[in-house]
Amino acid sequence: MSEIVLETKSLTKYYGARPALDHLDLRIPRGCICGFLGRNGAGKTTAIKMMLGLLEPTAGSATLLGCDATALTPAIRQRIGYVTEGHRLFRWMTIGRLEKFQQAFFPDQWDAKFFADMIEYFELSKKQKIKHLSNGQRAQVSLALALAPNPELLIMDDPTLGLDAVIRRQFLEGMIELITRQGRTVLFSSHILADVERVADRIVVVDKGVLRADCSLEQFRASVRKVVLYFDDSVPAEVELEGLLHCRRSERQLELTLVGVGEAEVAAWARQAGTERLDFVEMNLEDQFIEFTAPPHRRRLFQWEEAQS
Amino acid sequence: MRFLALLRKELRESLPWLLLAGLLLLAVGLLTLRAHAQAPEGRYWQYRQGMAPGETVTEWRLLQPAKLELPGLWLTFIGPGLGLILAVRQFWFPLFTGTWAFLLHRSALRSTILWAKLAATGVMFLVVGLLWTGLYGYASRPALFPIPESPQMLLNGWIYIALGFAIYLGTVLSALSEARWYTTRIFGLAFALLVALIVAGQCHIIWIVATMIVALAILLTQTLAAFLKREF
Repeated sequence: MSEIVLETKSLTKYYGARPALDHLDLRIPRGCICGFLGRNGAGKTTAIKMMLGLLEPTAGSATLLGCDATALTPAIRQRIGYVTEGHRLFRWMTIGRLEKFQQAFFPDQWDAKFFADMIEYFELSKKQKIKHLSNGQRAQVSLALALAPNPELLIMDDPTLGLDAVIRRQFLEGMIELITRQGRTVLFSSHILADVERVADRIVVVDKGVLRADCSLEQFRASVRKVVLYFDDSVPAEVELEGLLHCRRSERQLELTLVGVGEAEVAAWARQAGTERLDFVEMNLEDQFIEFTAPPHRRRLFQWEEAQS
Repeated sequence: MRFLALLRKELRESLPWLLLAGLLLLAVGLLTLRAHAQAPEGRYWQYRQGMAPGETVTEWRLLQPAKLELPGLWLTFIGPGLGLILAVRQFWFPLFTGTWAFLLHRSALRSTILWAKLAATGVMFLVVGLLWTGLYGYASRPALFPIPESPQMLLNGWIYIALGFAIYLGTVLSALSEARWYTTRIFGLAFALLVALIVAGQCHIIWIVATMIVALAILLTQTLAAFLKREF
């Protein structure tokens, strides 16, 4: 069994009476590239901050590289790269000065050549001040700063948020640079599903602070499905299928979004409901994610639209 | 090496405020001294003209109006003002710029990060203190004024500078607090202001120094505790 690099046990955070994260259990093995997904306010940043000891858990624990997150030693932090949300760096510093600042915390492991190469690859100059960089360029500097010490574990909080397609691609290629190094583990939160699909081999989905999925990307892709059933008469009033996420009705059609339900099971239910005409609709990861995390009241909006028409 | 990197960063970030405070103090100090030196009709010279032949001037410094009175008065604002600004710059401002997460994930102890900030502030106040001492030395030059400036004035200046450090720590405590301003958050700043009032009301140097030592010790231990457990 491979070594667990990052583990959370019932990690919970309450702000007052409101749960931001509720009993998150994760075990990320070495070498895993984990996409951490969730809608805005789902609890991703809270979870990451607790993993890095920036927030105190209300309950539960997080362990990184065998060390409790609330007591990360400098030696352990040295092995963890962290790209903060929004790439907040010291605005008055030049890239060169920031490199020197960062280098002081990684005296034996700073790869100056790698950093210089990345800065050149991103078409930046060490003389540029952070405050004069665009959001995308700051993201590139953040990544270079996080990768140059060659961390064992890289944690990134929504690193591609607000970046254009070209910068995002460059950013991901930089990330892949790390991934290709043996035994490196990456946990990154993102809203951009195409990015996740491109690099992640495992996804974790949180919704309203609750863990909703923790599986391989392939498993998730195979589990969340949409099926359209056609009826000659009116559609059935009740849909009794375990794993039903959403149900949208029109006069003679029933559109079901299901998770973890096999084709045979759906076909059997359809026969029982009085039809054999059904189509499985191809979904991309983004559609699957939206369906998986969309609030159930979307259905009401759909019904309202029906009533209007 | 880590501490020095942190210290350099803090010094560089605080430097503009030190320059502002230092220039203000020097400008007020030098202009005041120049005005004194160029005003033979002033009270200082009137005293001197009233001396009897052979009379010594040893005790005159107790009578003469202090030449550094005006810069000293300014220092009561410069010291605490600098403390307030540095605390806001170092602890409150990063809450808005969002750089705490980046800073705290350095491979250094949280206490090292805090000590670097405190040391940078200490250096800032030391420089202001040295400027004040320089002004005092200049005001005491026999070539400029026959009677030296009272050493009490020098000491008072250093006390105001130390008060600035107390205001700094009090503001840091308030900045670190996550409570509301109208509840416990104001306590740090209020305590430092109370200390300033107590010190201003004391007349004996021993009580002033004792008050300052106790107050700084309380503020420092509270700041350490607050920073080490603060969530960012």
